[in-house]
Amino acid sequence: MPKFKPHRAGVRIDMTPLVDVAFLLLTFFMLTTQFKPQEEVTIILPASHSNYKLPESDVITISIGKEAVPVVDIAAQTKDTTHIWLAVDSQLLRQRLFGAYKNVLSPTTNKPYGDKYFLQLGFPVPKSQLANYLIDARTKNPRLRTVIKGDKLADYGIAEDVMDILQKTQITRFNLVTELAQSVGE
Amino acid sequence: MAGGDVAAEPRKKGKSKKRKKGRRLGIRIDMTPLVDVAFLLLTFFMFTTSMSRPQTMEINLPPDKNVKVEIAESNLLSLRVNDKGDIFWSIGIEAPAKVAYKDLRSFLVDKSTANPKLTVLLKIDRQGKYSMLVNLIDELNQARISRFSIGPLVDQDKTLIAKVQG
Repeated sequence: MPKFKPHRAGVRIDMTPLVDVAFLLLTFFMLTTQFKPQEEVTIILPASHSNYKLPESDVITISIGKEAVPVVDIAAQTKDTTHIWLAVDSQLLRQRLFGAYKNVLSPTTNKPYGDKYFLQLGFPVPKSQLANYLIDARTKNPRLRTVIKGDKLADYGIAEDVMDILQKTQITRFNLVTELAQSVGE
Repeated sequence: MAGGDVAAEPRKKGKSKKRKKGRRLGIRIDMTPLVDVAFLLLTFFMFTTSMSRPQTMEINLPPDKNVKVEIAESNLLSLRVNDKGDIFWSIGIEAPAKVAYKDLRSFLVDKSTANPKLTVLLKIDRQGKYSMLVNLIDELNQARISRFSIGPLVDQDKTLIAKVQG
């Protein structure tokens, strides 16, 4: 009996459409992607059922952390601790607000801040200076939307103080960032 | 024949006649590495992209703190929250009573349907948690109460609550 060898058919798939689709998707994701900004302070957001979306640009974020961090109060030339972080999405504004920190010694590392203010999205600010920063930022960019991002377990007292400061600086409209609550019935 | 990656058409031997037109070579490029890289990048961007933006709830404060809003006592529902997160409600100057957080929404709906002019005043202890504020505002929103005020929990309120707790 002759050995029967199955004949191997030389299948060649035309990959061109596959490549087309792959590159189409690739360009889509490349153009739409926004990298998650690096956060200096980890904040666990509280959940809510609100469905307003956070605006994409022109946002000034006041973060309220769970733990206090050491900070230098430039105006009073003193060391202080704070729970409040301020973040703006534009580098120019960041430089304007925090540029004075360049030669100030950081209390955590004992080295000058240098260009850290430029690279870091958020910066700890003493509570006493928050109003000045907010006014400064809003005179530079009046379209800024103020957003409060508080940690679930942060003390309410700090949030109350922040809201007082906002009211005093005539920022009467602001948003609280929350996470979408998982279950609808809860 | 299968398998040949770069298969060029067999060139015709004779360099005969005029070669005015450049001869087209049938070049077939192996696209596999290209596809590999494309998909690698594709998966990278798919995983790193953050499609969903966080939710926010909007709050409008009155522009001036010193504006006095006069409300009839019977229309004022105070919700006081102590540092442990217990909620106490009272209408007007009645003695506060405790309400569980899970019953809060039905309670608020009941109260606001019973009295549509009801105004809610939130008072949260400074030692309380920030999530309490968000939860309460969320409950108010869910109960379709869009107007409320936030006030500080003063010592007077604390003694009132302490009295109820016994």
